[in-house]
Amino acid sequence: MSHKDIPAAGEGRRSTLRARRAERFGVPEPDHDPSAPEDVTILPVGSPATVRSYVRELLRRHRRTFALLVVVNSVAVIASMVGPRLLGGLVDDLAAGERDLQLARITVLFALALLVQTVFTQQVRLRGAVLGEEMLADLREDFLVRSVGLPPGVLERAGTGDLLSRITTDIDRLADAMRKAVPQLAIGLVWAALLVAALCVTAPPLALAVVIALPVLVTGCRWYFRRAPHAYRAEAAGYAAVAAALAETVDAGRTVEAHRLGARRVALSERRVAEWTAWERRTLWLRTVLFPTVNLSNMLIMGGVLLLGGVFVLEGWIGVGQLTTGALLAQMLVEPVNLILRWYDELQIAHVSLARLVGVREIEPEAGTGTAPGGKDVRANEVRFGYHADVDVLHGVTLDVAPGSRVALVGPSGAGKSTLGRLLAGIYGPRRGEVTLGGAELSRLPAEEVRRHVALVNQEHHVFVGTLRDNLLLARQDADDAELWAALGAVGADGWAKALAEGLDSEIGSGGLTVTPAQAQQIALARLVLADPHTLVLDEATSLLDPRAARDLERSLGQVLEGRTVVAIAHRLHTAHDADVIAVVEDGRITELGSHEALVTANGPYAALWRSWHG
Amino acid sequence: MQIRDLPYSDPGEPDVRSGFRLLLWLGRMQLGGQLKALGWGVLQLASFASFPVVAGLAVSAVVRRSGNDLALAGVAMAIVTLSVTVGDTMLHRVAVSNWITAAARVQQLLARRTAALGATLTRRVAAGEVVAVSTGDIERIGWCVEAVSRFSAALLTTLGVCVALVVYQPQLGLLACAGMLALALTVLPLLPRATRRADAQRDRAGRATELAADTVAGLRVLRGIGGEDLFLTRYRRASQQVRHAAVRTARMWSFIEALQVALPGLLLVAVVWYGARLALDGRIAVGELVMVYGAVSFLLLPLQLFGEFAMSYSFSRPSAARAARVLGLRRPGEDSGSAVPEEPDMRGPSQRWEPREVLFLSAGLPAGLYDPVTGLHAPAGSLTAVVCGDPDEAGRLAERLGGHPTSAAAETGGRSTNGPGGREKVPGTSADGTGRLNGHPGRSSGKNNDERADENQRAEQKQGSERKQLTEEGTQQPSASVLLNGVPLDSMPLEVARAAVLVQDKDPVLLSGTLAELLDVPSSGKVAADQALEAAQCGDVLGALVQSSPDAEGDPMRARITERGRSLSGGQRQRLALARSLITDPGVLVLDEPTSAVDSHTEARIARELAKLRAGRTTVIFSSSPLLLDRADRVVFVHEAKAAASGTHRELLHSDATYRAVVTRDPQSTTPEPADPRDQSAQTEGVESA
Repeated sequence: MSHKDIPAAGEGRRSTLRARRAERFGVPEPDHDPSAPEDVTILPVGSPATVRSYVRELLRRHRRTFALLVVVNSVAVIASMVGPRLLGGLVDDLAAGERDLQLARITVLFALALLVQTVFTQQVRLRGAVLGEEMLADLREDFLVRSVGLPPGVLERAGTGDLLSRITTDIDRLADAMRKAVPQLAIGLVWAALLVAALCVTAPPLALAVVIALPVLVTGCRWYFRRAPHAYRAEAAGYAAVAAALAETVDAGRTVEAHRLGARRVALSERRVAEWTAWERRTLWLRTVLFPTVNLSNMLIMGGVLLLGGVFVLEGWIGVGQLTTGALLAQMLVEPVNLILRWYDELQIAHVSLARLVGVREIEPEAGTGTAPGGKDVRANEVRFGYHADVDVLHGVTLDVAPGSRVALVGPSGAGKSTLGRLLAGIYGPRRGEVTLGGAELSRLPAEEVRRHVALVNQEHHVFVGTLRDNLLLARQDADDAELWAALGAVGADGWAKALAEGLDSEIGSGGLTVTPAQAQQIALARLVLADPHTLVLDEATSLLDPRAARDLERSLGQVLEGRTVVAIAHRLHTAHDADVIAVVEDGRITELGSHEALVTANGPYAALWRSWHG
Repeated sequence: MQIRDLPYSDPGEPDVRSGFRLLLWLGRMQLGGQLKALGWGVLQLASFASFPVVAGLAVSAVVRRSGNDLALAGVAMAIVTLSVTVGDTMLHRVAVSNWITAAARVQQLLARRTAALGATLTRRVAAGEVVAVSTGDIERIGWCVEAVSRFSAALLTTLGVCVALVVYQPQLGLLACAGMLALALTVLPLLPRATRRADAQRDRAGRATELAADTVAGLRVLRGIGGEDLFLTRYRRASQQVRHAAVRTARMWSFIEALQVALPGLLLVAVVWYGARLALDGRIAVGELVMVYGAVSFLLLPLQLFGEFAMSYSFSRPSAARAARVLGLRRPGEDSGSAVPEEPDMRGPSQRWEPREVLFLSAGLPAGLYDPVTGLHAPAGSLTAVVCGDPDEAGRLAERLGGHPTSAAAETGGRSTNGPGGREKVPGTSADGTGRLNGHPGRSSGKNNDERADENQRAEQKQGSERKQLTEEGTQQPSASVLLNGVPLDSMPLEVARAAVLVQDKDPVLLSGTLAELLDVPSSGKVAADQALEAAQCGDVLGALVQSSPDAEGDPMRARITERGRSLSGGQRQRLALARSLITDPGVLVLDEPTSAVDSHTEARIARELAKLRAGRTTVIFSSSPLLLDRADRVVFVHEAKAAASGTHRELLHSDATYRAVVTRDPQSTTPEPADPRDQSAQTEGVESA
């Protein structure tokens, strides 16, 4: 045993999901399974075939590093066997009463072998790390490459939560597997195989001991490995849940105090502790079975070699030297066997995470076969759309947005305003009917083309970790500093940006300078100025800001809107007031359409609302 | 303590004077487990150590061609096998139990402390520390506490083997012991350093993960605007840097590992050379040579345990220091002791406080909520709306209204827009004066060991002063406490004040769990969940929840709300939070911008239902929306930290131009003061886009 595998309890070990099975003795699986997914997995999980083909591809890419690892490992192992071999010879000579032992020669040989072993052990460790790190880097980069190619509609629908948990949690889980399990398993397998081979070469009858021990080992391990992955996964998820409950109490400190939830949060934490430790008991029980099995097989091999070998020597079939060498080799076998057992379940556990990562590869990229738009007018024609197969959110909506005009969508929550906005921005394709931009069907254009014409502005004003320049450049990568400053100036952000110590090179986003929500939104608007699409769809862009910040921002926004077509999802009525056309959306239909004056005169629902607003 | 008995009914009172004392305290609390681990550890290692003896016996027997002796060795082998198996398994069980119980104890202590600190923790410095302790530090602390017993067992066995070797074969024994000592002195000092380097590299990897997470979090922005290549290139660079750093760390480890092969190897070579000569001289038997060879190989095992212990200690020292710091945090005015708030009783407080209320009422102070600083008065049993020109001020005022304010700014009721000094902030459009912190205390990425060590030291030095600061902020006596029916809220016990007045701040947090769990808050029991949900117009929220939660089988109360309600829109979150506050049904309810993200149609309905549901109760709403103001019994306009005007919405609309400008944002009514920047904005307000 090394320090790595003594109480592995603290390490993140997780496993596959599997149906619970009844056991007659020991600690059964607890009822609560913290690893059961609570959120719906929206993006696909890779099929076994996808995972297999990906693993093959990964191994092919790194076959050279892999081969090198096997070679240096073999040399190190063979060198490590010189000692026992020499000692065996020595014992033989001594037992035979030989007086001239050539001790100098043996010592030099021993030392040489030691030197080789030292150098190659260092190489094994290094090559193993190189292989693991290369594969891990490939994995995470491949995943991100795939992710940034996802169609906007998929992202909009799935949200980023699922992707986020894949890039953080799953990559994390895979890190240990790639970094350690893959190289260590390779090392352990080569090591064990060479030792058994050496045992056979030294004295073939001694291999009988391995044959005796093998059934015990295999039976015990099969029992263990059937149950372990799921248990470790649940255990790790349970532990994470303990930390998550606490983190939430911290995050919600104000709310917890205001609602006097303190006692309940403590009770929740204790329930999480109980759930987690129930799984710790379960995995501890599994190891309570595994450990004696492994110890027993190790001892069976060593004892078998010694006793059987002893009998063989007495019978005169092998020599004392062979026995000594064999016994020492058998003792050396303990370490690779432990190594294999230690890392095998890690690999099983990693498999689930891998499937989640490569699942993103199964999403088809967009077709992008449409013709280029021949104008700037956006038009929805008899559009029907729903998020679920049988439930439509929009029931035949027709709306013309003339270039340069301002359209406000008003209506109660859940009426379909935002959905309509996303269709007009080309994020979703309609189920029936069509949304066109200059005669070209929006949903058939690739995202790269759509965004040159239309942009959706919502409350998601993400500030990326990086410099202010990076945060702006993404909108137009060839922009020079003067253009960036001009864009900042256009949205009224040049004041505070100039005050930054490092100007455009200031690090912002999480970990850097904190920008206020209003500043974040200004950055988002400056990006729009740079990207320069002719049509904007605005959805609750300022709703999460407090009123004063919202007022400041509206000024910035005004600059951006100048000269563009605007579809605004309005939740404050004064917003709607100025629009050229107001569309009242109710229950997935446009129920009123016209200018402010026309609608007030019409004396419908909009007029009633306006009166109560305006007093 | 068995794992099955967790959680502790009482995790105890930790010794938080320093990290080391905390470790010591944790060890003391599980003394029985430690002793058991020591016992099993000695058995396990002693059994391992006796394997070479058995091997030596067997070889001797064979050399002497004695079948009987060989059989004897066989029996010895069986005994050793049995004791190794039992010792190893039992040691593992006890060691893991020790680890788990120590970790669980700290988690429980943390949970209790966090609950007691409540709103004080919104100060992010402390919040980051708590999360860091719970996610990473506890594992290390548990590991170190648990490793003590195994280390002691290893020490005992090593000494035993060395003594046995020396007694049995003095020259060889001394050679082996000297070699062991040299080995320990060479390798051990390297381990903590290497571990720290690995730690630093983990931080760097964390940084790359963060970059990836950040890119994914902003993916919709990237796909909507562009720049995917820019960010991919950037991530690739970070990813490759991580790879290089990891390989560099691995190189250091590989040398340590090589050293661990070479040094014991040299010792073995020496033992074989010297032992063979002794055997040649007939001073030891052949079997004994094998025995000594085996014993020296065995000694490498406890050596690894020493290494592990050194590592766990160097790992856990800063962790334990941080844990002690966090567990030592106290609320301003809180006496020490792990105060777990009692499950509050709605009727209790008001009954207990009644006599004094009467006393104060007789002294002629106003009934309801009264703030002597601004002069704001919310009469008992009515719906008062407050319009504040400055939203930051509104937030502070709302907090003050609940009593026991946590931030210094709220206490003084001043107008400073920046939080407590010393915090760096992007200048300019400071929309929020809540003192947003930008320091990420948990982060130490990209720093080398020395810097990290320095940081730890500084943090440790800082701990005293920081705790002091927390207390100072609290003990600064507020200029004057808000009075509830004449009784100063700040003088009531915290629990009583919170039960009497519920302040829903601008950004209420939805706790994850099912909807039923979310709405299960201490309440008067008079407002049913469906009543509150209906009043807050949550119909479409329930629909959305059911759709995203197939497990709920159509029952919205069983639908899950993700952390902070992230799957819901801003307006939906606000309405759920409002429903939760309505269910609580406190005597006084203070709402800060409860519907700022809700559309006008829905807001109008909420305003109507809210007034109906809270009829006869005291309610204060901070808002500037005419739809809400119109429903209030009375509107108070707070301007420049004073209650400047009051009346109904319509009265104020006609009598007060400033009020009109703040509230309506109506282009037609903003002619009088063109110098006011608000009016300039009116032209561009056309599409507010909300």
